[in-house]
Amino acid sequence: MEPAIAVSQLERHFRSKKALDRVSFEVGRGEIFGFLGPSGSGKTTMVKILTGQLQPSAGEAIVLGKRAAGRRDPEQLRRIGIMTDNSGIYERLTVYDNLALFRGLYDAPEKSVAGTLESVGLAGEARTTVQQLSKGMKQRVALARALLHKPDLLFLDEPTSALDPMNTARIHEALRALNRQGTTIFLTTHEMAEAEKLCDRVAFLNNGTLSALDTPERLKLNHSDRSTITVVATDGRHVVNNDREGAERIAGWMRAGQLLSIHSDEPTLGDIFVKLTGRTLS
Amino acid sequence: MRFSLGRLRAIAIKEWKDAVRNPQILLTAAMPIAFSFLFDRKEGSDPSVVAFPLLLAVSITGAFVQANMVAEEKERNTLRMLMMSPASPAEVLIGKSVATSALALLVMIGSLAVTSVPDVNPIGLTALILLLLIAFLAFGTTIGLLSRTVTESSIVGLPLLLVVIMGPMLGPSLEMGWFSAVVDWLPTQHFVLGLTGLLDSGSVAGIGVHLAALAFWCAAACLLCLGVYSRKRFDK
Repeated sequence: MEPAIAVSQLERHFRSKKALDRVSFEVGRGEIFGFLGPSGSGKTTMVKILTGQLQPSAGEAIVLGKRAAGRRDPEQLRRIGIMTDNSGIYERLTVYDNLALFRGLYDAPEKSVAGTLESVGLAGEARTTVQQLSKGMKQRVALARALLHKPDLLFLDEPTSALDPMNTARIHEALRALNRQGTTIFLTTHEMAEAEKLCDRVAFLNNGTLSALDTPERLKLNHSDRSTITVVATDGRHVVNNDREGAERIAGWMRAGQLLSIHSDEPTLGDIFVKLTGRTLS
Repeated sequence: MRFSLGRLRAIAIKEWKDAVRNPQILLTAAMPIAFSFLFDRKEGSDPSVVAFPLLLAVSITGAFVQANMVAEEKERNTLRMLMMSPASPAEVLIGKSVATSALALLVMIGSLAVTSVPDVNPIGLTALILLLLIAFLAFGTTIGLLSRTVTESSIVGLPLLLVVIMGPMLGPSLEMGWFSAVVDWLPTQHFVLGLTGLLDSGSVAGIGVHLAALAFWCAAACLLCLGVYSRKRFDK
């Protein structure tokens, strides 16, 4: 099946500065793809190119079968949804009026407003003015707006930045539900935990170049030295070697019924990013 | 994609609902009505004085309100979301202008209620008002697009609009040759002269040159607006 996004040797220059340098990757249909990198790494430039707001300097980007050429393409815009961290909602209007505007712009059915509000847990807030909502609820309104027309491809830019865990969990739940219905999600974030929870694959972007691209599990396995295992037993926490002697010690705790937890010492995606780029994500 | 009345209607309704909940817009729109009391026609006064309340209503509502609305869309990152929707530039700009025009109409009615309805050819008066309103809507949109914030839209627009709006009122009394020469070219001056012509002769044909000048200003302002829009729409 044709990928949702195919980027090949993509470059974008701003005067002498290279924001993106020969970046290539593909995003499969129905995939949740994480595009990770610190501020200024080129994430937003990539999203702008993929959504037709910027023209690439060199290379090619194909989105849903069409070349992204830096021009508005209304037919293409009908098939994508965009949610940014600076959500751009009309604060003086009600939640319903905000969505009613975009329902009209996308020619979505009347019932789509109520259905989408239900899916993001805001059905009871339809008549509330947006400026009366919490930041988390506003983010959910922005997500509802992006989902209203049931896009094939959804671009999310830091969707849960500065949100509390409860609102973050609600947004993640809504995104997973959407993904189960077949929507491809392109997520840019510097929140590694979010990427790890949500994404099928992640790409690390640093200074405009890709440093790594794989599933979170494989990245962690490939960058784990697997030499030690951490065990929590009734008498405390132990780090044992991943060898025959270590196995005997673990077996001893198990036989004595003293083993409480056991896990391999894998690096986090954040650790791997630092290892590969020498930079932190925040 | 074809021009959609549904999308235009959605934008116009949003603009109207947003405008009537915005105290700054309402205050700006009320100003021309307040100014109308200054131009209350006294017996024996120059009949052309009726042009000024209309001029203020059209220009302040058309330009300042429109500039404020567009600049606020940029300041709050909502214009980007509109432009990333299937709505075309024409649908967005006309949708906004429909709401501003409705507000301008209400302000004109309010202003004329304070002064008086001029006894002139209604077709000529409508043509003059419509052409001036379109030109000011385009000026207002351009100022809004060039500004990053609502405050900046006032800073960018005020000096320019003061000259354009106040020029016909102040020009004769200032006795500055170069200033009068500039004022003669302004769309507002053509509006005032056109309305005075209608009051004098009552004939639309008699104000043809002023209608033509206003039509030229309309076209130029719309072209400028579209040019700026295509370059600035995604910038904050």
